[in-house]
Amino acid sequence: MLTYAARRLAVMVPTLAIVVLLVFFATRAMPGDPIGVMLSDHSADLVLASRLRAEYGLDRPLGEQLGHYFLGLLTGDLGLSFRYLHVSVAAVLASGIRVSLTLATLALALAVPLGVAGGVLAAVRRNRWQDNTIMATMIGMISVPNFALATFLVYLFSIRLHVLPVAGWGTVAQAVLPTLVLALPAAAYIGRLARSFMLEVLRQDYIRAARAKGLSPTAIVLGHALRNTMVPLSTSIGVVFGGLLSATFVVETLFNIPGLGRLAIDSIFGRDYPVISAIVLLFTVFYALINLGVDLLYAAIDPRIRLA
Amino acid sequence: MRALAVACVLAAMAIAPPVADAKMLRVNIVADPAMIDPITYSELVATNVMRPMYEGFTRTRDDGASEPALATGWSFSADNKVLTFRLRDGVRFHSGRPFGAKDVKYTFEELLRPGNKGGLNAPSLKTIAGAAEFADGKATGISGIRVIDPLTVEIDFVRPDVLFPIYPFQFMDSGTVAELGPDWMTKASAGTGPYKFVRWTRGVEVEEAANPAYWGGAPKIDGIHFLVVPSGDTALSMYDAGELDYVEVPESSFRRVLADDRYARELLKVGKAQVNYLGMNQSLYAPFRDIRVRQAMSLAIDRAAMIKGLFNNAAIPLNGQVTPGVAGFHDGLPPLAFDPARAKQLMADAGFPDGKGLPTVQITSTAPFKDEITYLAGQFKRVLGMPVEVNVVERATHIRAMNAGEEALFPWGWTADYPDAQTFLGAMWTSGSPYNRTRYKNPEFDRIMADAQLAGDANKRYALYGEAEKVLMADWATAPLPITTYVALRKPNVHGLTETPFGFSSFQPVVID
Repeated sequence: MLTYAARRLAVMVPTLAIVVLLVFFATRAMPGDPIGVMLSDHSADLVLASRLRAEYGLDRPLGEQLGHYFLGLLTGDLGLSFRYLHVSVAAVLASGIRVSLTLATLALALAVPLGVAGGVLAAVRRNRWQDNTIMATMIGMISVPNFALATFLVYLFSIRLHVLPVAGWGTVAQAVLPTLVLALPAAAYIGRLARSFMLEVLRQDYIRAARAKGLSPTAIVLGHALRNTMVPLSTSIGVVFGGLLSATFVVETLFNIPGLGRLAIDSIFGRDYPVISAIVLLFTVFYALINLGVDLLYAAIDPRIRLA
Repeated sequence: MRALAVACVLAAMAIAPPVADAKMLRVNIVADPAMIDPITYSELVATNVMRPMYEGFTRTRDDGASEPALATGWSFSADNKVLTFRLRDGVRFHSGRPFGAKDVKYTFEELLRPGNKGGLNAPSLKTIAGAAEFADGKATGISGIRVIDPLTVEIDFVRPDVLFPIYPFQFMDSGTVAELGPDWMTKASAGTGPYKFVRWTRGVEVEEAANPAYWGGAPKIDGIHFLVVPSGDTALSMYDAGELDYVEVPESSFRRVLADDRYARELLKVGKAQVNYLGMNQSLYAPFRDIRVRQAMSLAIDRAAMIKGLFNNAAIPLNGQVTPGVAGFHDGLPPLAFDPARAKQLMADAGFPDGKGLPTVQITSTAPFKDEITYLAGQFKRVLGMPVEVNVVERATHIRAMNAGEEALFPWGWTADYPDAQTFLGAMWTSGSPYNRTRYKNPEFDRIMADAQLAGDANKRYALYGEAEKVLMADWATAPLPITTYVALRKPNVHGLTETPFGFSSFQPVVID
């Protein structure tokens, strides 16, 4: 298992290198340049512009800039932010990473139990009113776009009822609405999968055997069926986590949360190349690690699966 | 399941109405400042958070006039080449150290020190004797700045600059770097202003506390939270929920605010110190060389319709090239008419009846102004028969091309750098200015502006600006366009804070009931 993990990690290196290349050229291909953004209306000050260009190494040939960037990455140096004077990219990202991961994790912690409970209940009560109600609710939660849901929740809880703050980050109360907005569609997605996986498992022979032995329905579902439902579901949960990280782009902007998503958007508008590259790189690493984690989890949940 | 239960309990515990801190003012800023020190200072968000902490020789009053701040007076030599400042006695920096002439010299030298990335205020120093040598690393100090005594500083100029006292300098405590190190700006402020730096949490807020020792009197509130809120809708929701006491409304939310009666009593609307104009480059589009064509362009624009339809009434007409509230503004220029019949006649007189014979021209701007250029292109086509193509480009590219004189037709603006009409008339329309984007050249206009640059007497200078502006308008160098307004909302319990043409008014007199 360790060799497997090590091999998977090694394969990540070329993937990351390709991502770095793509992002490097994509940011350079964007119209406009960071010095122009820095100087704004005053960009006719050519002396100042050329001095800044030299300071940030932007007057060098592209190949040299790329080489310099790669070398920096190897030594763990992500460079200096273009937008925040004197501040390193690592410092700009540090707090954002913590915020986005916390937010996505909170949402996942809420979405998984909610989704699994809903899905299992719907499967067990298949085609009865419980099933119909749960499924209708879940389809609704998936269909409503997160910005609409957010606006509605803010209007209801913050402006009408005054029980939760509109936006911001730092207190538990401020985390409630963004977590809900992220978690509800994820829970619905997980719930629908859980329902179909559970239905499949409930048709298996060993369940029939358990029923024949006279086990209570609760014991059958929780003791035997649920664990086998979790195997295929765990892959999907990895995907959901990745999706949650991407959804933070919208949710962080709406709720004014200083995470990676909002930072990415600000950096794109500010042509902060080093910060954009670092964020894309980070997301790539997250996705790769999530996939690896899911594969390892697979083996842990299902002893029949051997990793090689 | 247990995790869910715990989460629910935690959330329930946290559900409590947000408590408003009665003595802290909460206002929004649209982004983090890019920097928070007076040396590299170079952008608008930084202006908002730094103005309460740092001061210059003078400050701008709410009505746009300048009044003495850290200088109590100054005098020019007969040839205007030597300027002597008398500094205010008894002023202390936030560190407790006294402010004096040495700090003026220090701030100026730090702005120009090679490798220091001196920001917006650095170019204002280039007329000082010895500044160029110092900036090139050929001298250890700026020879033209002399500390006469702790409260007197004398400055020699290579070229007279009568506006020097009103430039928005931000004087910095010369002892700060030695005390706190090169990253001092993350720990403290080094100014003399009514508020001091507490902390900057990136992406969240800049917090400032009242300076009880402020020479102009201690503020009556405990401090200010500048909350970073990029989205206008979020800022408005926060204001509605009582999480902001004062909100500068971003343009994207103007429609919502101006249409809602709830806000009527809390609404503030003030024209910005930012001229707008239609750039017509005579060397890139030959028909613009005919004054009749330039006048017809202006006559083809229905400014009242623009104000209502494009700006949701958050704009006011501009009849010249100086905005109200900037010293040197002259009221009473004739209003610019919308007169399609006369415009058509002028085009016919110029040899382009119904636009016949006009080559195609592109009108260029950035995405946020797409509607504006589409409207203008439509007017020029419909009224003048001019074949106009709409061209939307990225902002930095657009600004570079305009400054390089590569765009033929464009509506754009210029934000005042300091409170004097020179900032508009000088930068935009004198020949040779790097920001003269239409490459307009009129010797008479240039001569009057040169005289104004030597007029130390403010009233004489303002009169000259009036003359220059008349020459400019008689020549139809441009078609002035409506200027947009700041729109802000202020809670009824907040007093002493308003919008000025330069943004927030001073925070020193703010009172919260």
